Amino acid sequence: MPENTSLTIDADNLLYLMLAQPDHIRLMNISVMKKILQSGCTPLIITVNQPQKVLSKIYAKEGIGPDQYYVIDAVTRYSGGACTPGPRVKYVNNPANLTDLGIAITELIKEIPDQKKCIMFDSVSMLLIHIPTATASKFLHFVVNKLKLSEISGIFLCVDKGLDPVVLSQMSAFVDRIVDFDLPGH
Amino acid sequence: MHSTHHATLLREQGGHGRKKTGFIEKAGKTDGCNDVFRMVFDRIQTGILIIDPQTHTIIDANPIAEGLIGRTKTELVGSVCHDFVCPAKCGQCPVTDMHQDIRNIERAIINARGEKIPILKTVAKAEMDGKEYLIESFIDIIDRKKAEERKVALIAYLNESMMRARIPLELMQQGLQALAGMVTSGEYDSEDIRMQLQIHANNIGQVASTLEELSRQAVEDRDEIPAAFREFVSRK
Repeated sequence: MPENTSLTIDADNLLYLMLAQPDHIRLMNISVMKKILQSGCTPLIITVNQPQKVLSKIYAKEGIGPDQYYVIDAVTRYSGGACTPGPRVKYVNNPANLTDLGIAITELIKEIPDQKKCIMFDSVSMLLIHIPTATASKFLHFVVNKLKLSEISGIFLCVDKGLDPVVLSQMSAFVDRIVDFDLPGH
Repeated sequence: MHSTHHATLLREQGGHGRKKTGFIEKAGKTDGCNDVFRMVFDRIQTGILIIDPQTHTIIDANPIAEGLIGRTKTELVGSVCHDFVCPAKCGQCPVTDMHQDIRNIERAIINARGEKIPILKTVAKAEMDGKEYLIESFIDIIDRKKAEERKVALIAYLNESMMRARIPLELMQQGLQALAGMVTSGEYDSEDIRMQLQIHANNIGQVASTLEELSRQAVEDRDEIPAAFREFVSRK
């Protein structure tokens, strides 16, 4: 059952599943990103939603510079956009390419020099466009295990009621907390 | 299908000079009731086994029971019921050892081919000439189970459609709305807008093909529903 509490990222390397209404999912991304930075963690954003180029402008508008986070971008190539190489970004051909996505996560986790890291997955609901729920569940289990072994925090963004009941119950077992996203100021 | 056919054959044999050597005849009644009981016993569309509760041996079996179990009466009579119709181990008989009330309970029998046949089973105690017997009656519910499985499969596909189409479409709607704001803000160049439009276009194409695939799977009689989902739907 989701807790109706605000997100607190501490040093305990906790894993969260954060749920929001579809119209709040973008706000949730920014809000979670700020919380990660406030906690002193270095965020690694896995985006299957918005291209890195657009994401960087959205973050810049919120005062978050490109040197403050790392990105695994699974949609720029998918959109036919140009992939600007950089030390803080890795591109994956397609959100359905889970093998490459897994490799990119493993590699980038190793490359981030900072001690405290936190992964933000945006979003589980968008991933389901590309792969069946059962496959998504297996992949998320793989990511969760990787994070636990590497002692890294992780936050999975998802639309409320956007998960198969079985996947949700499996995710409940994988993650430490399920949190309902509250709009700031509400 | 095979077992039903087998049962029909046996039933027909029973109606035309079937050798009467069963429990009913041995009971020794001579008032004409035997023939009536034998006729009912042979023609009723329910499998019936008469069991000695002390030895757990089968004393009599009607043609439907023979058909469902896939063994002849000769094979069944004298055999221990654990070997054929009841998965309980010796000493754990649900009726005589566990004292359970077995009335219209879903169980399974293992037929001669080793197949598990779902049945609805009732066990009643009956006394004759001072001796107690168990009358075990059961009906084949394989068609009902198949219909239930089909229902679960359809709910699974419906659920998958919801997760992989409706929710993403809602997200895309929000995304396009945000994109409309981006266009007018002047903060994003045409490539930013094009990329996002292309992602939405690709995603819509992906959702359409997912729906096509799911509806194709729903039409086909597929049974690869994850066990956890089956359990979830059954719990509801």
